Amino acid sequence: MRTPSSINGLWGVRVADTASRRILVVDDASLVRMYYRNALERAGYEVDEALNGLEALEKLLVRAPDLLIVDVNMPKMDGFTFLRALRRQEGDVAATPAMITSTEAKTEDFEAAQSAGANFYLVKPIPQETLIDYVAMLCGPAR
Amino acid sequence: MAELPPVTEEEFGRLCEFLYRRTGMIFTEAKRYYVERRVHDRMEATRATSFASYFARLRSDLDGEIEQFVNAFTVNETYFFREDHQLRCLTTDLLKRRIAVKPRNEAVRIWSMPCSTGEEPYSIAVWMLENWAEVDAWDIEIIGSDIDTRVLEAAREGLYGQRALMRLTPDLIEKYFEPAPGDRWRILQDLRDSVRFTTANVMEAAETAAHGRFDVIFCRNMLIYFDDTSRRVAAENLFESLLPGGYICLGHTESMSRISPLFEVCRYADAIVYQRPLGGARG
Repeated sequence: MRTPSSINGLWGVRVADTASRRILVVDDASLVRMYYRNALERAGYEVDEALNGLEALEKLLVRAPDLLIVDVNMPKMDGFTFLRALRRQEGDVAATPAMITSTEAKTEDFEAAQSAGANFYLVKPIPQETLIDYVAMLCGPAR
Repeated sequence: MAELPPVTEEEFGRLCEFLYRRTGMIFTEAKRYYVERRVHDRMEATRATSFASYFARLRSDLDGEIEQFVNAFTVNETYFFREDHQLRCLTTDLLKRRIAVKPRNEAVRIWSMPCSTGEEPYSIAVWMLENWAEVDAWDIEIIGSDIDTRVLEAAREGLYGQRALMRLTPDLIEKYFEPAPGDRWRILQDLRDSVRFTTANVMEAAETAAHGRFDVIFCRNMLIYFDDTSRRVAAENLFESLLPGGYICLGHTESMSRISPLFEVCRYADAIVYQRPLGGARG
């Protein structure tokens, strides 16, 4: 059986091999945060939330999560601006894997996400099982 | 304290007339005891010694007495997932049809009116999280409104007893509530944040219009308190509050067809609802 770390290695994403994975959901819509939180917690992940990029940055610098799930359109600081700011930080936190979630599926949106530093791009609506599959792919199974 | 004198027939009549003009609510002789109880409560609270002095205070709206009075009057009993067949209809039929004609950047707007202590708008939020596959793909605005400011405070607090949760499975309670002192449950912060509560009187066109237009309005068991004239006014205000093609869900004993010709009846698998025609123009 593969260990979580070997799965992580397979996808080239480095994460600490801790007992439980923590995910920071960054979305201004409380219902969306709750929807992702439900799916993630049921799968055994620990979940934290931020309402916009600025709040996410503040939380990250206190404690880096194993994965970020980031909406694009948010007040104060949008998802792309947040990612660019994150990638400019010093130390390991800058390499935190990040998944962009968006209702847009156009090529220029994928490209914009990629150049902002996203590791992955998922188009909403995202079924809960799909979300969990990709989260496990990016940061390993819950435990 | 001396017992307050009974309200005379003439006084009762004047009070009902006043109440009707200000709120659209109609109370008949059958509700006499109920009305009198609340009048006495308010007389005690305001230290009025006679009906006449209390009524003078009410009419002049001293210290917001009209609001206090209305608060003492409205009946507020409901529970989560009440008439869940309409919630099923919301996710299987209504929203599907609404998003088919809606630009992606426009919010899906749902109005719970009257919302009482919040069970209905929160039920809508929970139901959508559980049953609507598009829940993360749309900006969703749920607004709960009521004429009674006291219930709105409670709605924002989001604290409920076992009775209000009787229709929810333990799984749902655990998912969306946290235990609170006194054998109660508090709905989670994210859900509290997902519903906006406002004061609105359905009889006041300016107040309803200020809320913008909605895709779906839940207006259950309110029109039954109104007489024909008030019902028509309310129906017209609600019609104006709907986007063309938007829907209104009434209580199961209520029928819009008998109130207003503006709406089209839609019979879906789970519920009968009323629609503002897509053309939108009033006939």
